[in-house]
Amino acid sequence: MGVDPNVSRRTFLTWYMAGLMTATLVAGLAPILVYVWPPAPPGQKNAKVKATPDTPLSDLQENDAVRFKSPDNAGFYMQDGGGDNSKGDIAYSGYAVKAGSQTLFFAVNCSHLGCSINWVKDKTRFECPCHGSRFSIQGQVIHGPAAFPLSHLKAETQPDGTLLVDGFIQTPGAS
Amino acid sequence: MAIPTPRDVQLAVVDWLDSRFPFTEVVDESLTQRVPNYANAFYYCFGGMVFILIVLQIVTGIFLAFYYVPDGAGNPAPAYTSVNFIMNHVYLGWLIRGIHFWSANLLIVMVVLHMARVYWTGSYRAPRELNWMVGVTMMFLVLVFSLTGYLLPWDTKAYWATSVTIKIAGSPPVIGPIDIGGWTKLLLQGGPVEGPETLQRFFAIHVFLLPALIIVLMYVHFRLIREHGISEPL
Repeated sequence: MGVDPNVSRRTFLTWYMAGLMTATLVAGLAPILVYVWPPAPPGQKNAKVKATPDTPLSDLQENDAVRFKSPDNAGFYMQDGGGDNSKGDIAYSGYAVKAGSQTLFFAVNCSHLGCSINWVKDKTRFECPCHGSRFSIQGQVIHGPAAFPLSHLKAETQPDGTLLVDGFIQTPGAS
Repeated sequence: MAIPTPRDVQLAVVDWLDSRFPFTEVVDESLTQRVPNYANAFYYCFGGMVFILIVLQIVTGIFLAFYYVPDGAGNPAPAYTSVNFIMNHVYLGWLIRGIHFWSANLLIVMVVLHMARVYWTGSYRAPRELNWMVGVTMMFLVLVFSLTGYLLPWDTKAYWATSVTIKIAGSPPVIGPIDIGGWTKLLLQGGPVEGPETLQRFFAIHVFLLPALIIVLMYVHFRLIREHGISEPL
């Protein structure tokens, strides 16, 4: 290849202008083509969600609990349930407790009507601010109106003190 | 392969088409019109701007219809959620709706300016009275476009603005057996109350009836201009 010496100035300029006009047309139509392309529907995919407890798990004392939250675009699945909670329900926070040299993970939702329970360290129990339900560190009901134990989360402790909790991550898309 | 010259394209494409229908002749005839010097003043451009804005409205309106759902039932209703979907989730949806919204506003401005120019230069006088009438009719069509389009987002502002409109339209008195206001109200609402039925007919008027009417009238408007030529200044 090389420059064809037989291409006249007129031919060159004509194609030059035609190219420019085509580019202008494409630039004008491109946003419309993009617009017509349907956005992806909202989605969730199951994942092990990384959660960072408020204090590192390694510092967690016997008979104490620490709270952890899900990232903004993710949530946890409850592994079991009763009352307001059931298996597969979504929780956005949880508690890790150390009881009897064993670490347990609970969803934050009260089994009565789903309020977020608080850990009361002095009394070594969970209390619900809404209707006064109380739960032991094992998640068992001490006082109603809740009638079922707390739901468990499935989590793995990582060496760096964070958790990998069974849950979902939202895939980007429309809602 | 050698680069085709303009002459090659002329032979292969343009001549092929022209031997089947005189495209070049028709296009040349409609494009090669001498514009008198007095029509080069900026205020002779307003009509053309109205035309460009209406073309923009039609194009963006068609693409809005790709996602818009004219269903006002439920809470939130699909009409509202689909507009929300266009604004927040469809790629460049905010741009297409933004163009539709802002050119609608600008359209009213340009229509008023165009009308003022025609009045100022006395272009409505004989033999152009008919074109003035067609123009005034189109101005009312544009206003009805704005009125009906305002309801379509189906948000609170849209709903209550239309509520006011319908109350005003329904204010004429009862004359003997004829309840003018009540019938007008019933016709506009499509039912005893302002609801999904109202949205349904405003939508139909906005996207089917008015575009058809205004395209026909625009054609008449332009044919009449060609017939009379651009009017001379006073």
